Amino acid sequence: MADFEPKIVAFCCNWCSYAGADGAGVARLQMPTNFRIIRTMCSARIDPEFVLRAFSKGADGVIILGCHPADCHYIGGNYRARRRIALLRMVLEQYGFDPKRLRLEWVSASEGEKFQKTMVEFIDTIKALGPTPMKEE
Amino acid sequence: MGFFDIFKKNKAEKTDKTAKPAKKEAEEKKATPRDAAAPATSGLPAVDLGELLPGAPKNGKIKLAIYWAAACGGCDVSLLDTNERILTIGDMADIVMWPIAADGKEKDIAAMGDQEITVSIINGAVRNSENEHMVKLLRQKSLLVISYGSCACFGGTPALANLVDGKDDILDYVYTKTPTTANFQEQCGHKSAPIIPQNSYQAPEGELTLPLLYDTVKSLDQVIDVDYSIPGCPPQQESIAVLLKALVDFVYNGVALPPKGTMIGVTTKTLCEECPRHKENRRITKICEPHEVDVDPELCLMDQGILCLGPATVGGCGAKCTRVGQPCRGCYGPTEVVQEQGASMFTAVASLFPVLEEDPTCSEDEIIDIMSTVKDPLGYFYAFSMSKALIKRKVSEKGGQ
Repeated sequence: MADFEPKIVAFCCNWCSYAGADGAGVARLQMPTNFRIIRTMCSARIDPEFVLRAFSKGADGVIILGCHPADCHYIGGNYRARRRIALLRMVLEQYGFDPKRLRLEWVSASEGEKFQKTMVEFIDTIKALGPTPMKEE
Repeated sequence: MGFFDIFKKNKAEKTDKTAKPAKKEAEEKKATPRDAAAPATSGLPAVDLGELLPGAPKNGKIKLAIYWAAACGGCDVSLLDTNERILTIGDMADIVMWPIAADGKEKDIAAMGDQEITVSIINGAVRNSENEHMVKLLRQKSLLVISYGSCACFGGTPALANLVDGKDDILDYVYTKTPTTANFQEQCGHKSAPIIPQNSYQAPEGELTLPLLYDTVKSLDQVIDVDYSIPGCPPQQESIAVLLKALVDFVYNGVALPPKGTMIGVTTKTLCEECPRHKENRRITKICEPHEVDVDPELCLMDQGILCLGPATVGGCGAKCTRVGQPCRGCYGPTEVVQEQGASMFTAVASLFPVLEEDPTCSEDEIIDIMSTVKDPLGYFYAFSMSKALIKRKVSEKGGQ
């Protein structure tokens, strides 16, 4: 299991987290390369179907990053998103996934450092959990 | 045909006679305030099932097979919804197989040539080796295969069995854990080695076999090629009418059949478009069952906190459940542009919860507390579509380092 390199899908909102990720890059913060970022306009744009599709295609973990509460570019998008993700986490748990495979975090445009820290932490969590229980079809 | 002429005439006379008093009654009812609270069941137009079939077709009868795979049998019964036309189906078609009503057996079908059966209507999901063998056999022998009912189209209720660990788990629970079977196993001295059905048994008279149960329940189109699908639990009379009309036109007048892959009897929009209830887009904080509240007959069920799958389910059924105060359970499946019926439903549900004042400061655990008023989201939102979901069955974490 030592050579297990997880595949992680990261959804970042356009206004805060993607800019945050950009900031982390510009500041040349060191990060593992296990994640692929998908930019969406808002964290509320992330349909639970996207997350389920990622897991069904063999993602080991999915992380969703949005603006801090009360900071959403669209006023209340992240409030919607967090309710959806809460429900989605319940569903994933019923499926038998470890709920830690799905994470929601708030990263603002200026928080490059927090982005780096979050990703490193999340990748470590997934590494500890092992590969996805989803069988390849 | 004489009988039907008389039947039709009698029916017409009867309705004439009863029409007047019924009208009077309606007027009287209108005066009472209770009527305003009656659910709006009217407004549903009567279904046009077409004319009675005009005897045998010119080119000879077609062959029809109806098969029952993993389903409750309601679909078989729903075929009788064609009213008196069911009696004339025999003029159009030879029913070569219909386990619930006709005598055709597997060996009769196996003896037929390829594509000899014109239409096979198959209801039910595929969950054991017998289902799989029969649907594959019928596919080979049929020109057209119609996937009939929610179990055949999306897995339906049987597919919820995908949410346990597998067939051994099911057999173990059913034969050793339920009170009746547990008592039996104990009292008859089988507690240490419980009796569970075996796939084969060597009896003195020879070997007895049972079909092999599968771990994962599949929808029909995941096992064989399907020409048309008719969703519904069971399919509504309207859908059956559309199917019957297409078949009759094809057999008698040579009209082309609908293109392959057509979903019969569904609209392009969701059930909410058909539902007569008034929508106020209220915010809800608690989910309740219809029996726990006094259901307002006019107001949208979601506005009243009753979990209704209308927003994620395709229309076509005429919203019969919601008209009488029962929430939609999603038997017609998702709309054409969506794959995950359940996912689009919990997107909708989550959006109904209001943003709270403490929202900017509260933690994710508090949000989970708020959302856990939704009980068993997986079982509820995927009640009919488990086989078609992106993740089709339960998984088990192996545990990492």
